[in-house]
Amino acid sequence: MSRYEINSLLYRLKKDPDFRARFLADANAALAGADLTDTERAAFVAHDMRKINELGGYLHLVMSIPGLAAH
Amino acid sequence: MGTIVFAGAMSHVLDPDYYDRACGAIGRRMITETMAEIAQMGERLSAAKPDALIVVADDHLNAFSFNCVPAICVRIGRTVHRMVQDHAEAFDQVLDHMPPAYPLHERLANAVLEQGLDAGFDLALSWEAPVDHAFLAPVNTMLGTRPIPPLVPIFVNAFVAPQPTARRCFAFGQHVARVVAQSPWNVGIIATGGLSHFPELSLPRVGETDVAFDRKLIRCMETGEHGPLQALTAEELHKTGGHEFLNWMVLLGAVTPARASLRYFGELPRINLAAVEWQLA
Repeated sequence: MSRYEINSLLYRLKKDPDFRARFLADANAALAGADLTDTERAAFVAHDMRKINELGGYLHLVMSIPGLAAH
Repeated sequence: MGTIVFAGAMSHVLDPDYYDRACGAIGRRMITETMAEIAQMGERLSAAKPDALIVVADDHLNAFSFNCVPAICVRIGRTVHRMVQDHAEAFDQVLDHMPPAYPLHERLANAVLEQGLDAGFDLALSWEAPVDHAFLAPVNTMLGTRPIPPLVPIFVNAFVAPQPTARRCFAFGQHVARVVAQSPWNVGIIATGGLSHFPELSLPRVGETDVAFDRKLIRCMETGEHGPLQALTAEELHKTGGHEFLNWMVLLGAVTPARASLRYFGELPRINLAAVEWQLA
């Protein structure tokens, strides 16, 4: 149900360097207003791109976010 | 009376360093061989003196994000810019050092768009969408330091389900051929991407391909059997990692019933590299 939210967050992490910096500094704070399930939130906080992909995050995004990309 | 004077299709992450990191020395060797073939295809493209080059490729969630994902989008306007990504990783790095802007063939793009809508294709249009490696790596590899013809970028949604069908992409390609035939221009067309890679867009399956599926596609292209290709389903393309073959389906519609010549096929764990050129009458 939150597939859009996951992907819009991934897109923002890729394209918005300021948001990316805030996320890297304090993921929980950066995600405070995001409509995520507990599982999704935990995956983002852990930078677990494999889990994020499994939850519906598009492969090309999880492979190309600067500093967070899975290879 | 316009003519399609060149048609080719090819893989589109064209970067020896990328494949060296992903696959080791064999990756570097095979992509170098692929790029050499693509450069030779580019020499033949230049020799055909095209007035325009149509590039059919997909967006990797760079231009269209999630505010709108068009099934098929014609890039109109006068100039297209290279996608800009800070601290680019992986396939985005391919864009570094490429020229930042490219002229468009505005009149041909408008004709494809306007006549397409008249013909019943509900095409999207964009004046602003940038293009990523899927468009620019093949163009720059083909043409090197030679002049790049005015481009007509056409985006096909290969990755964000639900995608357009293979049959619809083929039909759109037939429309492109009709537009070119009624135009005064000599036109080159390329389609990019693939072949099989990233099955089911699943991270744990990065590193798998489907060689048997790709060989079936190549056989159909070589023999001009375009019926079975039009019948390809979204599920087949997703399972085999054949998503980007939708771009090739547009080209096939534009050149049917021409037969293809395989210039290169290379099996890597990460992707099957390919370069194909059509024998035009």
